[in-house]
Amino acid sequence: MPIAEKGYAHWQGTFIDRKFPWWPISRLAIRLAFKKKGFKFVFIGSLLPAFFFLAGIYISERLEDFTFMMKGTRQFLEVNPAYFRTYFTGDFLLFMMVMIMVIGGAGLIADDLKYNSLQIYFARPLHKKDYFLGKVFSIFFFLTFLTLVPGLIFIIMKLIFAGSFKFLAAYPWLPFSVVLYSLVLTLFFSFYTLLVSSLNKNRRYVSIMLFLIYIFSDVFFGIFYGIFHNPYFALISIKGNLQQVGAALFKVKAPFNVPWLYSFLILLAICVLSGFILKKKIRGVEVIK
Amino acid sequence: MNIELKNVRFSYGKIRALDGVDLELAEGACGLLGPNGAGKSTLLKILLGFLRPDRGAGRVLGYDIQQEQFPIRRFVGYMPEGDCLIPGMDAVTFTAYFGELSGMPRQEAMKRAHDVLFYVGLGESRYRPLETYSAGMKQRLKLAQALVHDPKLLFLDEPTSNLDPQGRAEILELIKDVSSKKDIQVLISSHILPDIEYTCNYVVILNKGKVAAQGAISALKEIKYSLYEIRAKGETGRLIGKLKDEGCRVEETEDQLLKVYMPADLNRTEIFRLADQEKVQIRYFVKSQTSLEDLFAETVGVD
Repeated sequence: MPIAEKGYAHWQGTFIDRKFPWWPISRLAIRLAFKKKGFKFVFIGSLLPAFFFLAGIYISERLEDFTFMMKGTRQFLEVNPAYFRTYFTGDFLLFMMVMIMVIGGAGLIADDLKYNSLQIYFARPLHKKDYFLGKVFSIFFFLTFLTLVPGLIFIIMKLIFAGSFKFLAAYPWLPFSVVLYSLVLTLFFSFYTLLVSSLNKNRRYVSIMLFLIYIFSDVFFGIFYGIFHNPYFALISIKGNLQQVGAALFKVKAPFNVPWLYSFLILLAICVLSGFILKKKIRGVEVIK
Repeated sequence: MNIELKNVRFSYGKIRALDGVDLELAEGACGLLGPNGAGKSTLLKILLGFLRPDRGAGRVLGYDIQQEQFPIRRFVGYMPEGDCLIPGMDAVTFTAYFGELSGMPRQEAMKRAHDVLFYVGLGESRYRPLETYSAGMKQRLKLAQALVHDPKLLFLDEPTSNLDPQGRAEILELIKDVSSKKDIQVLISSHILPDIEYTCNYVVILNKGKVAAQGAISALKEIKYSLYEIRAKGETGRLIGKLKDEGCRVEETEDQLLKVYMPADLNRTEIFRLADQEKVQIRYFVKSQTSLEDLFAETVGVD
């Protein structure tokens, strides 16, 4: 292999100060996620509920055309905040979000730790927060496609199919709930994924941990609830907490008889703890004192 | 001065890694020598702003190492010691990516990545996944990412570690080319003395966190001592003792060759006088060309 096949030439350009220095990091993370085996399949699969709910919105405005299908299921096609809550806090959607994180998000920090690339990141004019925002935004990108984007499309399509603003007049706060709950979901999953990803250098272990923590928190809730019949055990379930907060933001009855604020505080505490651990773990150099 | 450090001190907990380091380096290639644990990598990390010194001050390219790390990192290229890569990427996207993170416009970073990869000899394999690269190719890739933004100063941490002789020679050739013909100052941290001797004209020897010696290699080799190689017949033990009493450092090789490091102010006839005194015959006496290895051994006090 010959060296210096081409002579060295100085670069004549000028450096630019990017408004969003984290954007190249996000772009790369998104690109690499799509290159992962099975990711496209999971991502497209996770959009399925959105299509079904969109179809539901269409049918809800054309009930007379679909009466042959409607026997005893009319109440499910009533588009109201509960309809949105059902979409956003549905088991399948939350599970698919976790799967997206398992396949596309597990290596976000774990790979950089394993392959020592943090030091070349931070040998660049890059803040720790830029690195972190770059990784977070890649998760945001995937999750907003499953939360914010369909949520807003649902509202717009409902208005278009209804041909009036009655729906929005009845629930003027609904767009804000959609935005807010999308933010809660994406932020929580971003912190959760990055926290677990920073705890191990092996992407596979991280994937397993992401999956098992989510699943077992719910399994343990089920076991304890079965034994003690105390709804407060819902607080140990990630899914339970997300559903509680979702119900509160969409102003519908919470699935468990527990103040939603407790669930919110638990999710917030996980995010704060994650931020604290990430601050310690993300550094250009490994310092053992 | 491109690099200035004044009384820099840094500790990892109770272990002092750097203790009152003073440095002034201008143009050219400089070698940072020292045994393992001498503080070489720590010094590079302080210069890059990864670590904050406990005490002291410093400037790199005129920027304060504690306050202005961003401009430093923009104009400095860093090639770390271990493997660094991002799985799933090829060399072009990898190199362009780090160019972009350095502040280069995206398209220019991509164009420059191609140029730099050809320069380091990875032109043909620039689209291969990085995971399939050999150790030598990974070293070149690290050099490419350090050069992509056309730095004024290049920090190379053990650039030839884990390389076979041919790969090592090629990397050294590249380093020499960059430092001698391209107006890029290079600071190489290494414990492989021939590498430093081949690529650098200036050396800083660190030992136990302190600067043990610094200066132009040629000057350091000349002024401090003379090295003589001696073969002698008779009881050499006492001769060695007497030489040591006179301030010489004496090493005995496995084939009974005595290497005598003699202080500059001592006359070589003294060796013969002492040999005569101890009834030892000197059968071979050659003034040896001092190497950096000898200088290192003399300064650091290790074989």
